[in-house]
Amino acid sequence: MQGLNKGKVLSWTGVLIIIALLPFILSKYTVFLLSLLAVYALVALGLNLLMGYTGQIAAGHAGFLALGAYFTAIVGTQVEWMPCLVIILMAGIFTGIVGFLLGIPILRLKGFYIAMATLAFGVVVSEIILQWSSLTNGDDGFQVPIARIAGFSFDSDFKLYYLIIFVTIILTLFAKNLANGYIGRAFIALKESETAAQTIGIDLAKYKTIAFAISAFYTGIAGGLFAYLITYLSPDAFTIELSIDFIAMIVIGGMGSILGSIIGAVILTGMQQVLAGLQNLQILIFGFSLIIFTIFMPRGISGMLNTLLERLSLAMRSKNKELAQES
Amino acid sequence: MKQITKFSVLGLFLMFFLFPGSSLGGEVGVTDTTVLVGCSNSFSGPLVYPGTQLVNYGLEIYFKHINAQGGVHGRKIVTQYYDDGYKPQNAVANTKRLVEQDKVFAILSPQGTAPVMATVKYLTGNKVPLLFPFQGVPIKGVKTIFTSFAPYPTQSEVVTSWLVEKKGFKRIGILYQDDKYGYTFRDPAKKVLEKYGLELIAAESYKRGTVDMSAQIAKLKKANLDALILVALPKSGASALKEAHKQGLKGTKIISSGPLTDEKFIILSGGVGEGVWGLSLWPDPVNSQRPAMAEYREMMKKYGKDKDNRPNRYSLFGYFYAKLFVEGLKKAGKNLTRDSYLAALEGMKNWENGIVPAVSFSGSAHLAQNAGFMVEVKKDVFKPISGWVRLKDGKLVEEPL
Repeated sequence: MQGLNKGKVLSWTGVLIIIALLPFILSKYTVFLLSLLAVYALVALGLNLLMGYTGQIAAGHAGFLALGAYFTAIVGTQVEWMPCLVIILMAGIFTGIVGFLLGIPILRLKGFYIAMATLAFGVVVSEIILQWSSLTNGDDGFQVPIARIAGFSFDSDFKLYYLIIFVTIILTLFAKNLANGYIGRAFIALKESETAAQTIGIDLAKYKTIAFAISAFYTGIAGGLFAYLITYLSPDAFTIELSIDFIAMIVIGGMGSILGSIIGAVILTGMQQVLAGLQNLQILIFGFSLIIFTIFMPRGISGMLNTLLERLSLAMRSKNKELAQES
Repeated sequence: MKQITKFSVLGLFLMFFLFPGSSLGGEVGVTDTTVLVGCSNSFSGPLVYPGTQLVNYGLEIYFKHINAQGGVHGRKIVTQYYDDGYKPQNAVANTKRLVEQDKVFAILSPQGTAPVMATVKYLTGNKVPLLFPFQGVPIKGVKTIFTSFAPYPTQSEVVTSWLVEKKGFKRIGILYQDDKYGYTFRDPAKKVLEKYGLELIAAESYKRGTVDMSAQIAKLKKANLDALILVALPKSGASALKEAHKQGLKGTKIISSGPLTDEKFIILSGGVGEGVWGLSLWPDPVNSQRPAMAEYREMMKKYGKDKDNRPNRYSLFGYFYAKLFVEGLKKAGKNLTRDSYLAALEGMKNWENGIVPAVSFSGSAHLAQNAGFMVEVKKDVFKPISGWVRLKDGKLVEEPL
């Protein structure tokens, strides 16, 4: 047991060192992409906590992302001395509160009606941004101020990478603990059977709204990081397609899996990179690969990997048994 | 075992993102035999038609033509494009990719206000030339940026001045989209009218996406206008035209503004566009008899691949600005650097091109085209009803077409 933990600590340290060294090895653009990917992974994490764990279909996460992004940009412009981490945290809390409030009326809805309501939420958010131009600059877009902490400016993709990766790692660990803890188990119970969950004392209304709030919190934080990374916000950035992309990420990566969220973000961002250079075929290829993923990997890549590993360990075990018997 | 899964994530990271950037000697994007340019554009999303036309049937056909002749100063023009689907964040990623990974010499004719504006700060900071973007928000005073057509506020001023000065209209109203885009036209129009001692008689607005214009048109009809300036996106604009036709807005001339002066919009309005006026930035792509326009159509036929090679304003835009870009390359000479190129453009005086009025730049003027001409829809074709009109020191100037 002890040995395993040591190995675990060692391998995690190794991973952290690699992550910390990557910007020195990789090209500037690749570092930017990794940051973008981390932002999307955070959204996928948040969405997965809601969709993958409690089974509520949310199709408006671009709206939450927009709230977090605009909150960060506007507060950052108004209160220049405030450290960016505080602003991002506030953006997360603000978005979380909106998510909580949205979760209350949605309690009355089920299945695809939740999808419809959240979809509408996403549209409403971009419309508000567009119309409230005295605050958001509307169509003209909003130039995001540079992220700062006590005199230190995150004024390059290289520096931003560390800010974004730091927040992403913290929130991933937090999500992992959450998912494995009481709340996570309550979420899964809700997904499996609401009635059964209620009979064992899980407060349906409470946990459903908590799920919305947490999911929005994650996406709001991601929005703050997105704002700093992209440096320019406009309502055109937060479309329905983006919300659908987020759903695609967790479907491809694996519903109800922390690792799956990250894998999904990697695959989708990577795929978009490859496809951006192709003009005519990209939507076709994208659609086909989605179909293939859902047919052949219904539990996503992380689900498939787990199955493969289980088989592998089974095979190893039986082989070990055979060897033992032979000797 | 779980560690294996964790490392597989790392593997995926490496698989997708470890493409090394290539480095070149001399100026970025320039070799003895090539010069690399590119842009992020819409090959999907709401502006897919303009984007595809601008790039594939505009920029590309002219570059093919030039490369077939051996390029400029022995350098062939190599291009790289990425799709942003009109999403600003994708435009930022694509532009960084072009600059940092592909190492382009300049960004040429990206499209769309939000995607272009999202990249301006980055490009300016990195001193990468941004040449002739397809968008209408003014960008001024940046050494490395050259813009294309007259920005929307200027277009609005030109049209309003022309209506008052040349047509003697006094009762002018406006129907506009209630957001920044609409204000970009409304406010300059108001300002110009005040200059002439007039005011906007009626200003009606609609929310983006509206297709029912009956209430607005009814009010505008009551105002008994000489002219109605229509500021709308194509779908809403077409609805407004249909409604005006239905309610019989006969005494009022309708003037479509900005991107509405486009053949596609006439088709959308389903035959009720007859008699509508607008400000055209281009000679008629299909019917213009100018030699330079005939040449454009010929090349479109020769190099434009597959079916969509019908002449239109977007491919003409790409074609024209590719031509202007090449003219800059010729002037910059054999020793091509970003600085020498920008200096060559700034030194360009009265470049006759046969398509739009002669182009001149200077250290402080980076706008390629500040003129347009008024047109009227006659049998689904835009017929000119004025010469090239523009503002010079706030005064309306008209020159023959």
